[in-house]
Amino acid sequence: MTSVVKTVNLVKIYQDGAVPVPAVRGVDLQVEPGEFVAVMGPSGSGKSTLVHMLGGLDTRTSGEIWLDGKRVDTLSESAWALLRRKRIGFVFQFFNLVANMTVGDNVELPALLAGASPKVARERRESLLAALNLTDRAEAAPAQLSGGEQQRVALARALANQPSLLLADEPTGNLDSRNTRDVLRLLGKVHKEGQTIVMVTHDARVASLADRVVSLFDGEIVDDGRIARRRTGTAGEVIDLR
Amino acid sequence: MSTTRAGSRWIRADLRARKAQAVLTVLAVAGIVAALITAATLLEEGTNPWRSLSAQTDGAHVWLYTDDSPDVSLSGIDGVSQVAGPYRSVPVTVAQDGKKEPAALRAMPATPPKVAHPVVAEGRWLDPAQPDGVVVERSFARTLRLRVGAPFTIIALSGGRHTLYVRGIADTAEQGFYPQWTPGLAYVLPVMLDRIEPMLGRSEWVTGLRLADPDATQVVSQRVVVMLEDKLQRVYTWREVRAAMELDNRLLGTLLGLFGVVGLVAAALALANAAGGRVLTQLRDLATLKSLGFTRGQVALLLLVEHGALGLLGVAAGAVAGWGVMALMLGGTSVAPGPVLAIVGGTALVVLAAVGLPAWRGGRTPPIPDAPTAPPRGRLSRLARLALLVRLPPALVLGTRDAFTRRMPAFLTAFGLAVPMMMITIGLGVWATLDDFADHPEQVGQHASLYVRPGKLEPAEARRIAERDPDVAAVYPGTEVNALAPGEARSVRVRAIGASARPYPFPVVEGRTYGRPGEAVAGQGLLDLLGVRIGDRVRLTVGGTPLIVRVVGRTIEPDLDGEVLSVGLDSLAAKDSVPPEFYALALKPGADTGEVRGRLLAESAESLDVQAAVNPADRLSIIRVIIVALIAVLALLGLANLLTASALGLRDHAFDLAVLKAMGLTPRQVTATLVTGTGLLVVLGVGVGAAAGMSVVTSLIDLQGHTSGVGAGIGRAPTALTLTVAVTGVVGTALAVALIPARRAARAQVPVTSR
Repeated sequence: MTSVVKTVNLVKIYQDGAVPVPAVRGVDLQVEPGEFVAVMGPSGSGKSTLVHMLGGLDTRTSGEIWLDGKRVDTLSESAWALLRRKRIGFVFQFFNLVANMTVGDNVELPALLAGASPKVARERRESLLAALNLTDRAEAAPAQLSGGEQQRVALARALANQPSLLLADEPTGNLDSRNTRDVLRLLGKVHKEGQTIVMVTHDARVASLADRVVSLFDGEIVDDGRIARRRTGTAGEVIDLR
Repeated sequence: MSTTRAGSRWIRADLRARKAQAVLTVLAVAGIVAALITAATLLEEGTNPWRSLSAQTDGAHVWLYTDDSPDVSLSGIDGVSQVAGPYRSVPVTVAQDGKKEPAALRAMPATPPKVAHPVVAEGRWLDPAQPDGVVVERSFARTLRLRVGAPFTIIALSGGRHTLYVRGIADTAEQGFYPQWTPGLAYVLPVMLDRIEPMLGRSEWVTGLRLADPDATQVVSQRVVVMLEDKLQRVYTWREVRAAMELDNRLLGTLLGLFGVVGLVAAALALANAAGGRVLTQLRDLATLKSLGFTRGQVALLLLVEHGALGLLGVAAGAVAGWGVMALMLGGTSVAPGPVLAIVGGTALVVLAAVGLPAWRGGRTPPIPDAPTAPPRGRLSRLARLALLVRLPPALVLGTRDAFTRRMPAFLTAFGLAVPMMMITIGLGVWATLDDFADHPEQVGQHASLYVRPGKLEPAEARRIAERDPDVAAVYPGTEVNALAPGEARSVRVRAIGASARPYPFPVVEGRTYGRPGEAVAGQGLLDLLGVRIGDRVRLTVGGTPLIVRVVGRTIEPDLDGEVLSVGLDSLAAKDSVPPEFYALALKPGADTGEVRGRLLAESAESLDVQAAVNPADRLSIIRVIIVALIAVLALLGLANLLTASALGLRDHAFDLAVLKAMGLTPRQVTATLVTGTGLLVVLGVGVGAAAGMSVVTSLIDLQGHTSGVGAGIGRAPTALTLTVAVTGVVGTALAVALIPARRAARAQVPVTSR
């Protein structure tokens, strides 16, 4: 079985004036289908840069990125964009819903972009919003929603095209504990349905939801361990136990 | 296809979120396009009536007036292809609604000639079965409000009254429009003319020459002058007719064109600024779109389509509005499709270019939505440090700093306000110039406000009546004659008025007024026509008598494109100047022209012909309407710019607001900070614009005066009071507009993390 994502000696160096600032220094990472990987580390350890590179939002300085068995680090910006439409879903810390569009439109947008007909996009949006318990907020503007609701909408949007990889950058970093729990419960649920997830977090409790925790420090992987535990029940229950 | 759907949804959502700004953009562009189309049509219409009329009537290119039938063969002259006439013509006066208008009655056969045949617009041509029929030239008929079938009462030189009936109204290319070109023209059958004016000595003969090459007028008319010598009264060519027809509309068209072009630049700026500002405020959304899978090109295209569509919608609306207004004013056929298409195409390109850059910039947004898109944080600007130094309130200092954090938008905002303000200043200058025409007619050559022609009375008696009136300050006897300019082969107007010892107070702007016989002053048009300068001698022929004068000054001359030479009555030979043709009456200050006119008519038992001078400002009064409309369009542009600037300012400071509040600034101080940031740019732009407008307005109007023959020296800058009111009004409105969003932002609970 091919890995969903694989990096070989991935390096990112920012150029701050004349001084090169290395953010990611030779990361080798392999994520198998259905895996839930949490990337942890203190701020500045390069974890956000890493997922941005995995999604093609940022270019690598050197090294290789493989997605579903194909090398993608050599792709142009446009080719990356086309790839993202169907294969990668993003969830950001600050939700990043398009402010002018309604919640429903925000969720339909990726489906339309991937070529679904308006009818199919509408159906998919309805089932997603129903699953996330947001059906009655479909016509609301994002600003009218609470943070947790916004993040659930963002998650629905990211999952609209059933991507092979879901990248989440601090998805709970901006939420209170109740909303954090809601969002994590959802992540756990989609993971259980077979979704591959790479999630950046600096919160150990959030990370404990994952199958595997990768720790970054100064742009290098310092620890990569599976959480050897038979999973019972949903993420919500895991949190509730604590 | 897939991106089209997704993109269109995004565009719709974005437009819904900023309806007011979108409508404003559309309106501003529409206003500019409408102004441009109006300008082009007026310009085209200004030059076209002669061209189309000449084509319709197979018009002649040279017209000559002789005091006897020219017995030489004019068709033998090289370059003359056909000859019209000679037709006998007699001067008459038309009495209509109690007014008397000068007219020339022309004998024409019942079968229209091949060359220079008037084209009947309404009714029919002359018919031998109805000898009392008359066909009236269209502009003359319009001035007299004549319809087909109306009676047409004329008074011959002998004093006899005859009543004819209007059988037709016709267009001709042989003379300009009444009343700019007098006398008016009417055609009757030769038998009727003989009955009205049996004396051949009181008539002249009109001959039209159609040339193989219309540019050969100079050569041909010189030959005519040589061949006919003393018989020749005057000659004019199609160029003068064309110039006479285009006078007023051309001035309007030029003005509108100037406003339109500068307005287009301003509109392009406003569009670029609006699109650019919108892109800046949307960087995060654009990044999100890219993270969802929009490519760089698609984002750029999306922005281009959205902002371009607004502009193009404006272009379309403006085209429809401009075309509609022109079709209403001038008739449906008058709008030439060529220039309209060119304007639509040109403005569409300008629109796309203006939004292209911001769209491209938006496409280059990095796809990481969380990357901070804060404005470049610089050091405090010099201005801000100065403000700190003089201990201005902190809100002002912070606002001053904010105003210039983004250099390019700051420049665009200030410049985008400066250009409309400059045009507004120029518009106000034109207004002031018109006011000046109206308030001080003596400064535009209209010292006298009434012209009295003796009519049935003896000239001396007429003068006595005029001088007796208590409100008449001075009476200047005068005569107007046509003179032939050698080498020019065309006639110019010589106005003899006042005596050399007691000259008519012309507004002399260069040199001095005439002080003795043989000295003259001239309008710019005449100086340009004859190629002479002040101090040069001019040799003219008036009815066979040479008139040699030295031009000693230049006057403001609103009549006949400035092609007028003014001399003292004693400079003219006695045969031309005694008795004077008219008396120009200067009234005492405050006297009412209508009252004096009524008194003079009553005194003379209606025998005098008393006419009030027509102020050029009255003819140009439509310009005032246009100025108001243009100021409205320009204000829209300024407003569009302002909204952009204010939205951008708010966006840049959304984060700072919380910090400012945390630092202890009251909501009022926060508002003041935001308003200062926008207001400073407004003050800067408006100030620069007003200064630039003031510095060019007089010379611009004078340039227009110079080219139209009136001459430089008419330009007036708006008064200090007008300008102060305008500037204060603009700045005040701007601050009020900026205040509303600023207050709302200052009161809103801004979460520190909403970035």
